[in-house]
Amino acid sequence: MPKRWISHLVGLGVWLGCAVLVGFLLGSVAWALVIALVVYLAYTLRNLFMLDRIIFGAGRLPLFDTRGLWAELVARADRLKARSRGRKRKYNQLLREVRESTGAIADAGIILNADREIVWFNPAATRLLGLYPGQDIGTRIENLIRHPDFVSYLDEPVDSSIVIPSPKSESDTLQIQLIPYGQNQRLAIIRDITHETMLERTRRDFVANASHELRSPLTVITGYLDTLADDQDMPESWDVPVSEMLRQSHRMTQILRDLIELTRLESTESGAPRDFVDVAEMLGEIQREFSGRRGIASITVHIETDAALLGSESELHSIFYNLISNAVRFTPADGSIDVYWRADGATAICDVVDTGIGVPEDLVPRLTERFYRVDTGRSRATGGTGLGLAIVKHALQRHGGMLVIDSEEGHGSCFSCQFDPQRVVFRRDANPAGV
Amino acid sequence: MEVEDLGQHISRRFNEDLEHVRSDVLKMGGLVEAQFDSAIKALAEGDSELGLRVAEDDYKINQMEVSIDDQCSRILATRSPTASDLRLVIAVIKTITDLERIGDEAEKVGVLASRLASVERPSTNYRELRNLARHVKAMISGTLDAFARLDAKEALTVVKMDDAVDEEYESICRQGVTFMMEDPRTISRVMDTTWTARALERIGDHCKNICEYVMFMVYGKDIRYTTLDSIEAQFAEDEGGKEQSS
Repeated sequence: MPKRWISHLVGLGVWLGCAVLVGFLLGSVAWALVIALVVYLAYTLRNLFMLDRIIFGAGRLPLFDTRGLWAELVARADRLKARSRGRKRKYNQLLREVRESTGAIADAGIILNADREIVWFNPAATRLLGLYPGQDIGTRIENLIRHPDFVSYLDEPVDSSIVIPSPKSESDTLQIQLIPYGQNQRLAIIRDITHETMLERTRRDFVANASHELRSPLTVITGYLDTLADDQDMPESWDVPVSEMLRQSHRMTQILRDLIELTRLESTESGAPRDFVDVAEMLGEIQREFSGRRGIASITVHIETDAALLGSESELHSIFYNLISNAVRFTPADGSIDVYWRADGATAICDVVDTGIGVPEDLVPRLTERFYRVDTGRSRATGGTGLGLAIVKHALQRHGGMLVIDSEEGHGSCFSCQFDPQRVVFRRDANPAGV
Repeated sequence: MEVEDLGQHISRRFNEDLEHVRSDVLKMGGLVEAQFDSAIKALAEGDSELGLRVAEDDYKINQMEVSIDDQCSRILATRSPTASDLRLVIAVIKTITDLERIGDEAEKVGVLASRLASVERPSTNYRELRNLARHVKAMISGTLDAFARLDAKEALTVVKMDDAVDEEYESICRQGVTFMMEDPRTISRVMDTTWTARALERIGDHCKNICEYVMFMVYGKDIRYTTLDSIEAQFAEDEGGKEQSS
């Protein structure tokens, strides 16, 4: 038992003892006890009243005793009260700072609960999305941001973020990212990327225009060089320079053609058309095209499935052609290149496996960058434009596919194209009789 | 308002059903909005492929209408809703019909856009049509916002916007007549632009209808075929009454 209680009980005992003594002397113990208890009750009630006023903050009254149970209780309550007031002030200030800083953020933030109802949003959300502060709390977000892409992203966040036109003004573009946290809560971060989108478009337009403008003078130069190369009257000493110039101008034409192709792939937003493409036949054709060349590795095509694709014939051709010509360039003549066309469940996969020089693992992600070369001298010497894999990547994306690169330096690489099951058709489906 | 009491049903499932129907209507609305945007983009950029795609995708809206209709019948049959719930279900049934019509008009605009893409474009690049479309687009999103928020005031604002749309439609028609008189070779093109404007104007009317359903849902009063002033007076009265009682 704490000391304050012992001393309090002892005090009470002494008080009652005195009362009994006085009562005994006056001849009425019972009445003396009653009076003593009434006094004690009054004292206790008065102190309780004090405590009440302290706790509920109605100003304080002077205390009778400076020591003992009640004094300690009152002091304790006082201290707790002061501490909680200080804490409250601190939290309030913190809250105000958080609110002010989230209010100053240019990106919109919305907190969603498990039912996708809006729990909280910052002022930027009002600016970017037109949400009403107060009124829209508790509304389902998809009722207010209704773009179908956003709704399907909400159902199933496949990509890390999506881009939709702003519901407030269609010329603005917004990027939305959902971050799950806590218990089924989600934070939606919305950024205005109108400016970035415009810059990107300007860049694309510039590249496209520049390529087109460069192509016509180059055609003239190539034409004259062609004539010069065939000219019998040319001094022999000019043979090498002219043929080299011709070679380089052809290369430049090729680069421009690839650049134009790449910008075209980038700028068309919609997916590729869904024409029927016989991949097995296309791979065979490409193989025959290469088989005429001398000094290259042998190419073998393995057709392991009867699957065909629904896509754009020219784009699919450029995917396979670029991958195979890439393999040819980086594989020594005594190596081998194997092309597999196979099915994996509902998807179809095309693997191009070579025994070439390979790529160090840390450089693999950079392969699809424009003009990126692992070994600058070598790839230029073999006549690459530096755009092949970028084209493959973009063309594949338009077909809902993915490029997976697996490579080991010195042992060779495997480039594998995985196509979207929705674009794969199996002949056995189309022709159940098996004819 | 009673509608706010949607959240307090004894049966949790009933709530969920109603909430689900409401969400689905807005999902359908989102689809309609996107279709409309694509159709207008096809018109503005002369993208015939996009225009035809809009026409192709109309089936999605129709499917949603069927599925929502089905849900509403089920709610009516199994829950026998009353008061604001009943109003919600009735309003939803009417709303989806109009939404589906808006989808059809967007499809029409898509087809017309793909046809207009193949003929010579006027120097203004159909500026007046794009202007009209911007107004109509504001009406569509305003309508759906009002539906989502059960906001009768917003609905009333949209109803008022319809007048401006009608005026613009009138002026496009008049302009078309002038063009045709000046140069008969433009007749087929002007016919198509007029049809497009007509479709846009119809979309505005459908939005107006939906807004009337929203007001019905919120206030429980049918305000069709009444003048705007009397509606406003009615609302002001309602608001005043509410403040007094609260």
